Amino acid sequence: MSTAPATPSVPVASGATVVQITDLHKSFGPREVLKGIDLAVAQGEVVCIIGPSGSGKSTLLRCVNLLEQPTAGTIRLLGTEVTDPDVDIDRVRTHVGMVFQQFNLFPHRTVLANCTLAQQKVLGRSKDEAEKVAMRNLELVGLADRARSVPSQLSGGQQQRVAIARSLSMDPALMLFDEPTSALDPELVGDVLAVMKDLADAGMTMLVVTHEMAFAREVADRVVFMDDGMIVEQGPPEQVIGAPLQERTREFLRRVLDPTHLRPQGDPAGEHVEP
Amino acid sequence: MSADLLDARAHGGRARMSPRRRARVVRGVQYAVLVLIVVAVAVATDWARVGNAFFNPAAARAIVGDLPRAALNTIVYTLAAFGVGLGLGLVLALMKLSSVRAYRIIATGYVEFFRGIPALLVVFAFGYGVPAAFQIRFDSIVLQIALALGIVSAAYIAETLRAGIQAVPKGQVEAARSLGMTSGQTLLHVVVPQAFRIVLPPLTNEVVLLTKDTSLVFALGLFQNQYELTKVGRNALTGVEGGMTSLLAVGLVYLLITIPMSGLTRWLEKTTGSKGHV
Repeated sequence: MSTAPATPSVPVASGATVVQITDLHKSFGPREVLKGIDLAVAQGEVVCIIGPSGSGKSTLLRCVNLLEQPTAGTIRLLGTEVTDPDVDIDRVRTHVGMVFQQFNLFPHRTVLANCTLAQQKVLGRSKDEAEKVAMRNLELVGLADRARSVPSQLSGGQQQRVAIARSLSMDPALMLFDEPTSALDPELVGDVLAVMKDLADAGMTMLVVTHEMAFAREVADRVVFMDDGMIVEQGPPEQVIGAPLQERTREFLRRVLDPTHLRPQGDPAGEHVEP
Repeated sequence: MSADLLDARAHGGRARMSPRRRARVVRGVQYAVLVLIVVAVAVATDWARVGNAFFNPAAARAIVGDLPRAALNTIVYTLAAFGVGLGLGLVLALMKLSSVRAYRIIATGYVEFFRGIPALLVVFAFGYGVPAAFQIRFDSIVLQIALALGIVSAAYIAETLRAGIQAVPKGQVEAARSLGMTSGQTLLHVVVPQAFRIVLPPLTNEVVLLTKDTSLVFALGLFQNQYELTKVGRNALTGVEGGMTSLLAVGLVYLLITIPMSGLTRWLEKTTGSKGHV
């Protein structure tokens, strides 16, 4: 089934640029977290952002839908410059889904109501229509039978899949994932990644911050490696993960793929043991 | 050898009693002291006199007719004051959370001022000060009381509501906003319903305090049909029978009002809790 129909008000041509980030800077007080990011994501593209913690990955993602206000630079979303103060950011956000590390489901509402609330209040859909869309998306993530449950009755993995269904119910043109599996027990990660893979296969444009290298390698069209607020390297996963050009990328991947550092290193320059 | 050492430590030294044995003896002594005091009080008390003072049937009969009306007045004054306090308190709480600094300063000043002065002072102000200063007369005693007590309780309620709103995790707001909801919609549909559950217990506490604070209006000149419980109890003190009976009776009626409120909170918490409602 083909997902991600862009709402009529925002026509997105195939291959068109969905996100265009130009020279983006973000500071928290005196600390500069993003030091000039240039990144474009095309329609239907899946871009995975990897990098050490504190490298600015999440901040970059949160800038895209303006949960963080950029300090300088521009972001064009579906042709609209969202950094322009005259733009109604609430309207732009309806086209951008976001999935958080901590799920952030509304605990006082049922799974179904989580998926219908914004449809009714923001898109003005009728209750019937909203529920139909919600059920279709809950089916997509394999949780249609839990529609009447409340979030606290679900496992972390199920909650995250509901969060994905909630975002999809707004018919977004772009989905942002902020470390969607980092808060999950290891055995629950697979279900969430499987849903994300289905979504990617269905043609959804996705920007994913993740530590799941296997997922990035398999699903991403492009992998972006960030360190210290800058993009160090980007390209197809075979290159960035398989045969990185930059030493910083190599060092990061060594640590991620062999966290204990017990395996003897081939490259003596990379002999770096965490205290 | 180590076993010998352990043995010597466990039983040796000057302490002849083990800690557990000693704790038991101490507990026994505490019970003995309590029993002695109870017996001494029971023997020393003039029970006939106590019975006459606290449970005087004549005094009880004299007051019982006034109690329903007084209890009703107490409840009406409480609810009216709570209405004012909740409305004003919500405005103040939102002001305290406002991004406009001037609003935050005004709200903080208000809260500090009315939390810091005795409520009785405000009751006097609305009873005598405001009417004299501005040449106005309050036609309704309920309105007068609601304003006086509501203005004070708004300061406490504002702090309670602010804490409740801030206790809702930031991720909830971010999730709602990223779905395209406006800040107003987010507040109304996501933050307030969750904050409501958090503030329910402290808010009930506020109503209980307010119920008791209605006693302060005895300082105003009230007509007889406007008397609340404390005024009735106080007037009975100077009656022919006097004694503690009237105060005890009035106290019991206060308890009949305040204790069910805790039950109501528990019930509300349960019904707004696990069930998700649309």
